[in-house]
Amino acid sequence: MALLTVEGITKRFGGLQVLNGVDLTVAEGSLTGLVGPNGSGKTTLFNVIFGLYRPDGGFVRFRDRDITGFPPYKVYQAGLAFAFQLPRLFYRLTVLDNVILAARRQRGESFWAALFARRAWRREERDLAEKAYGILELLEMPHMALKPAGELSGGQRKLLEIGRALMAEPELLLLDEPAAGVSPALALKVYELLARLREKGITIFIIEHRLDLLLNFADRIYLMDKGAIALSGPPAAVTEDPVFYSVYVGEHRKWVS
Amino acid sequence: MAADPLIYVLDMLVFIGIFSLLAISLNLEYGFTGLGNFGKVAFFMAGAYTYALMIETGAPILVSLLGGATVAGLLGGLVSLPALRLREDYLAIVTLSFGEILRLFVKAQEGFTGGVHGIQVPAAFTAFVASPRLFGLANVVLVYLVAGVAFLFVQALINTPYGRVLRAIREDDVAVQVLGKNPVLYKVQVLVAGSFLAGLAGGAFAQYMRFIDPYMFLPLVTFYVWIALILGGPANNWGAVLGALVVEIFNRGTRIAKDYLVLPVDPNNLQFIMFGVLIILLLLYRPQGILGESRLRTPAFRRWEHGAADR
Repeated sequence: MALLTVEGITKRFGGLQVLNGVDLTVAEGSLTGLVGPNGSGKTTLFNVIFGLYRPDGGFVRFRDRDITGFPPYKVYQAGLAFAFQLPRLFYRLTVLDNVILAARRQRGESFWAALFARRAWRREERDLAEKAYGILELLEMPHMALKPAGELSGGQRKLLEIGRALMAEPELLLLDEPAAGVSPALALKVYELLARLREKGITIFIIEHRLDLLLNFADRIYLMDKGAIALSGPPAAVTEDPVFYSVYVGEHRKWVS
Repeated sequence: MAADPLIYVLDMLVFIGIFSLLAISLNLEYGFTGLGNFGKVAFFMAGAYTYALMIETGAPILVSLLGGATVAGLLGGLVSLPALRLREDYLAIVTLSFGEILRLFVKAQEGFTGGVHGIQVPAAFTAFVASPRLFGLANVVLVYLVAGVAFLFVQALINTPYGRVLRAIREDDVAVQVLGKNPVLYKVQVLVAGSFLAGLAGGAFAQYMRFIDPYMFLPLVTFYVWIALILGGPANNWGAVLGALVVEIFNRGTRIAKDYLVLPVDPNNLQFIMFGVLIILLLLYRPQGILGESRLRTPAFRRWEHGAADR
């Protein structure tokens, strides 16, 4: 069953047509990959899905609910989470606070409850701290918890961005190049983590240039070119197709991973 | 009056208290949430005039103080609505011009606010008016009670998940949206709360001065509050209080220096030179202010701090 349906999405920036009628579906429980040359519109599509850009035409449906043009916080509330390609962390806040901020439905985040329902949110905070600890352990940085996020290295920032998305416990996780700028060993770890999340029932939609990783883990691949889907199918079928080479990989031979 | 040093000290204490309250309110807006409110004086003035008009009708002092604060808070919410959807610098422009517009409006309302002639504020502590010392002391108590409550209120509000969201908005409000929170809602609430506190300060000011006119509410007042906050340390309430203390001492100190220094210019203007130098030095060598940002203290932080060892 399709968890996310994108139908005929178009997006123009002035005279530049970036998205030109994108159609795709992400099946529930799958790890779906989106690949394509630089400038083909992948990140723009993610931004449209998450409400950061308003599309000029088309629909985005999540569980048969129309979420087209929702502001980002409502898209999040519908059950999605998004990890940016370039981490957008809160650099003067601690790593711990960065993670906890992503948790859903915190009572203490409302003005009156923060002041007058202290007992309730204080209890909640202790549980969130435990949960955040679990995530930081997964990312191998519990020792950094009370440091400001600005002191993290580039790779750790990427991991924290993903960790934040995990804290959100989404039904659908959108990841924009999680393995970019991360060492090969760590990148593999990220993908193994994603595979485990998929087993837990989280659907993952991912932009990635690291084909060696993506093709091993993905259930389905979409190839994007010039603002539209050029090719789709299971990884094996896509890598067999000559279009895949002419558009993206650039060599007319079978991709060997 | 000038002959009595105690009066002088009490007067200074009152002003330090009022400035602390204003700095705390700006700290909530700018220090924690990153909102550049350059119209602080407008909400201070709204509080002062509302207080004056209410106490004139015979309302009790507490009711008049809260009335002034409420009017200021509502104005804060109103001003924020058009500006918050735009980029941050627009908020600065909108609030700065709102302050001047409100002042010119009050200045033009001869019948209602006294216009340029100002308005007499009936003393609330009628029993003490006869003795300047007792009157000063009563005002010190009043101002520090109000400022103390405001300090505790902001402190309590800031060390919560709500306060965490505010700091996150200051860092990156797009990321805050992506994490499911609506920054506009928070910003409006913060501007209402911050303006409410500035309104309280205005009421206390009017009650102490017993006379207010539009020239007491020039944009310069806003800039004094900014200087206090930047000196003391944004995102730290103790820093706001410390900054208010420093600004007030400089302000007074240069006025006293007038009696001892012979300069080709008015020594009173020395304070502006000194503030300028101080701020340049501070921004170069200690941009976080004298005290720097305070930590967010919630149970999650404490659990980590104490629990890290036994894990």
